[in-house]
Amino acid sequence: MDRRNFLRAAVKSIIAAAAAGVAAVAAYFMYPANVRARQLIYCECMDEDSLPKHGVKRAEYRFELKGKEMTAAVYLVNHEGTLYALSPVCSHLGCLVNYNRHTDVFICPCHGGKYDTAGEVISGPPPAPLARLPMKVENGRVYIGVMLPAVAA
Amino acid sequence: MGRAFDWLDKKFHIKAPHKRFLKRRLPEGLSYFYCLGGAAFTSYVILFITGLLLSQYYIPSEMEAFESIVKIQREVHLGWLIRGVHKWSATLLIIFILCHTLRVFISRAYKSPKELNWIVGCLTLVLVFASGFTGYLLPWDQKAYWATTVGTSMAATMPVAGRHLMYLIRGGMDVSGATLIRFYSFHVLWLPVTMAALLWAHFHMIKRQGIKGGL
Repeated sequence: MDRRNFLRAAVKSIIAAAAAGVAAVAAYFMYPANVRARQLIYCECMDEDSLPKHGVKRAEYRFELKGKEMTAAVYLVNHEGTLYALSPVCSHLGCLVNYNRHTDVFICPCHGGKYDTAGEVISGPPPAPLARLPMKVENGRVYIGVMLPAVAA
Repeated sequence: MGRAFDWLDKKFHIKAPHKRFLKRRLPEGLSYFYCLGGAAFTSYVILFITGLLLSQYYIPSEMEAFESIVKIQREVHLGWLIRGVHKWSATLLIIFILCHTLRVFISRAYKSPKELNWIVGCLTLVLVFASGFTGYLLPWDQKAYWATTVGTSMAATMPVAGRHLMYLIRGGMDVSGATLIRFYSFHVLWLPVTMAALLWAHFHMIKRQGIKGGL
């Protein structure tokens, strides 16, 4: 390799290395600084007495996110004696499903996905059933478990 | 890399004319003073890149601007570095472009046939100052606020329509949130875009007319 070709390769390598360094710094700069692991947090939802004796009941629970009070919905279902909480988030693309009392199904307003009261898919594009959220009863209050970003220590 | 570029160049045909320009023999008697324009352009490129990055976090709002700067400094990964590079490159750009102007003036490179390039360069110089002035307001702290209050009030000393010119620049009677948004828009959209067009013209004319004398 003569001197001209060596210098040309050297200059190209230096420019490529500098460009890669700038790209790495830029990506690191743009990557959010507040990414934290999620953890299961139980949020207070309702009185034990308000749980449905049979059928479906829509309820809301409150939680705190980044210091802001947030509200989310959950469907509490009493299916022949077994009680569980269904997330209203459609498994297709994440729209919130609505419960239709007359047909006794959950219908997604976005693409018409349908689920029965057990959360299983009846028809439409959803690839999986509605998620069941963990719940517990303590001192007569019902708590819903959701995955929230861990609170900074 | 070379092969991919060659494939693109089959469509664009930009390699051959630039090769002639980049591989030509430089005229006799050049010195490092002829690199000052290139140094200024490098500063512009660094400002452009760091500015693109800062715009990801800066919020041009009366209530949030200062807070977003504090967040960039304290929370964002390497935020202090990117903002520091942006600030120091701005200072260097002013120094380099002034030295470049002085070099062109001393070597009488503004003479025909390059008088239009001198005019384009002077317009760029004005826009660089405008970028520095508008950027100075964006941290939205006391120094920024009062520097802009004093700076924009100079416009009012112009005879006849001075007061109205000042109101026009401020976007109101006093420096306010409207001024902040206005200066932000100038700083990140109007001025960089106009400067890019002027710099293209600047470099195009150098290619056609040569650094020293004609090509």
